[in-house]
Amino acid sequence: MIHHGNPVSKGIAAGPVFLYQPFAAAVSEALLEESAVSEALNKYENARKNAESELKAIRARLETSDPEKAKIFSAHIDILFDEAMDCDIRELIECDRYSPDRAIDEVFEKYARILGKSPDPLIKERASDIRDVKTRLIRVWNGVAEKNLSSLPAPAVIVVHDLLPSDTATLDRKNVLAIVTEIGGSTSHSAIIARSYGIPAILGVENATTHFAQGETVIADALTGQVISNPTQEQLADCDERRSRFLAQQAQINSYMEKEAVTPDGVRVDIELNLASVSKQSLEGAKCTDGVGLFRTEFLYMGRDTLPTEEEQFEIYREVLTKFGDRPVTLRTLDIGGDKKLDCLNLPHEENPFLGNRALRLCFERPDIFRTQLRAAYRASVYGNLWIMFPMVASMDDIRRAKQVAAEVKTELTKEGIAFSPDVKLGIMIEIPSIALLADFAAKEVDFASIGTNDLCQYTMAVDRLNPAVSEYYQSYNPALFRLIHIAAKSFIDNGKPVCVCGELGGDRLGAAVLMGLGVRKLSMSISSVAQTRKLVNELEMKKAVEIAAKVLDLSTAQEVEKYLNEALKDILL
Amino acid sequence: MYSRKTTINNQTGLHARPASDFVKCASQFKSKITIKNVDDDETVSAKSIILILSLSLSKGMKVEITAEGEDEVKAVDTLVALIDSKFGE
Repeated sequence: MIHHGNPVSKGIAAGPVFLYQPFAAAVSEALLEESAVSEALNKYENARKNAESELKAIRARLETSDPEKAKIFSAHIDILFDEAMDCDIRELIECDRYSPDRAIDEVFEKYARILGKSPDPLIKERASDIRDVKTRLIRVWNGVAEKNLSSLPAPAVIVVHDLLPSDTATLDRKNVLAIVTEIGGSTSHSAIIARSYGIPAILGVENATTHFAQGETVIADALTGQVISNPTQEQLADCDERRSRFLAQQAQINSYMEKEAVTPDGVRVDIELNLASVSKQSLEGAKCTDGVGLFRTEFLYMGRDTLPTEEEQFEIYREVLTKFGDRPVTLRTLDIGGDKKLDCLNLPHEENPFLGNRALRLCFERPDIFRTQLRAAYRASVYGNLWIMFPMVASMDDIRRAKQVAAEVKTELTKEGIAFSPDVKLGIMIEIPSIALLADFAAKEVDFASIGTNDLCQYTMAVDRLNPAVSEYYQSYNPALFRLIHIAAKSFIDNGKPVCVCGELGGDRLGAAVLMGLGVRKLSMSISSVAQTRKLVNELEMKKAVEIAAKVLDLSTAQEVEKYLNEALKDILL
Repeated sequence: MYSRKTTINNQTGLHARPASDFVKCASQFKSKITIKNVDDDETVSAKSIILILSLSLSKGMKVEITAEGEDEVKAVDTLVALIDSKFGE
């Protein structure tokens, strides 16, 4: 029998099921006698103290091994002693004669619901921490010992309705073969933890806790999203083989994470990072990349009612520039239009937003937004190596107009006596076919270009990339796209100006091979593609990449290109 | 009763560690203390980490801190100073 779910953390494993049923809080509905109230309050106080000791013990255990996770338990102690909740609970016990467990349940739930309504996803997530503490407190009240996943007797596949934050933080990593849950998506707590530990995880397997029996052997295949019960000997042997192959591949790919990307015949390719938000985690990418090839700034404008101030933007740009030091940080100015709703900008609905008043066009219409962003960027430029990139450029007029605004902003700053770096580079995104065809002119007026293959594909193939009905017409390997990239890249290379590719194609191994052959020496991608691309560059001779690119320009369909690339790169892709 | 207004100026706003520090500081005082988001008038107890989180106070937002009780002036002044110190950021 095969059950399906969402594979959120890749891998595969076979083993006995460990059905995990966390303590289910059943509370007493009976009201207290008046004489029992003061004793109930004492018992409640004791339960809090005991719960605190448990939390402190877990925290102490994690403090050295995993200080980040230890913080979760400090937050749980804060929640346990939250004064507003404590007041409400005492009131229910004293005035309404609720039994403490029922009072705890009601009040914690009420507060969890308050946070659950927050528009901020980080705060929303805290609701699960409140429920986690509630379960602990009621369990302690009932005198039931803690049950968790911190020590499993033997390696097992965990099957559970959903994992609580405290379950995942104390997870017995060496004995958890895989995680199967009934609920949760790829951004859930369980998914993030599973990925960070490299544990295969399949979430959203309906009724998983009733389908599987304690101890039965299953295959959790998080490469395909299947959980197989009663597997045959052949299936188990196959699972073993795929597991070893997967682990070997992963280890091999990961060994390239920080290795310089140089082809066997000595050509270096810069591997840069696509950055879409600024956090401690996203900036970790600075460790293994040669710069930021695409710093998307839209996040600064999302989920808020007011436009981000110059000061606010400056602080964030400074943080990123400082982090990357001498390495380039390519900041793309606001790229937004009628397909995205922004609370801080009242954009009218458009029939055809991808062809509408978006990105640079919108910035020309709203110089206040454009200038504020450019001022913040120039001010931050003294902290690193800033490259500014304009999106949605269709003509030479666009380039001249954008450069004009940048020049005015610089004059303004000079007048005000505000410092900025004289070395800031100005460049364009090449994502509209017209500017790809005119790249020889563009290359004379700007310092660099970055090819955005996702939009270039959409505009070249006339396919709305968000419309699932036409997804088959969105062909990233269509030779027309490679021909346009060839024209654009060649113009910039001939003028001695850097050209980067920052779309999906740059982090795709088949695509990256062709791009290298077309002369692209900078590829920008999300952190998850870095290791595999570094490996590709280290294994692919530039001589061969050039041959491959020439051949691709001579093919006529996307299918032919894909088939040819898989064939030509088969030794490397293994 | 004593109150003062100020603006949240640290990068993370009143979340995570700063929120926790704020509550710990407020809890040292005997007075009843509240914090209000000036823009939408929502007011909660300054001694409750959860209610403070529910206000989603981020950088640039104006707040008003009010206390009532024997140490009201000291409580408000200390908490305003803590916010203005950007929580040691």
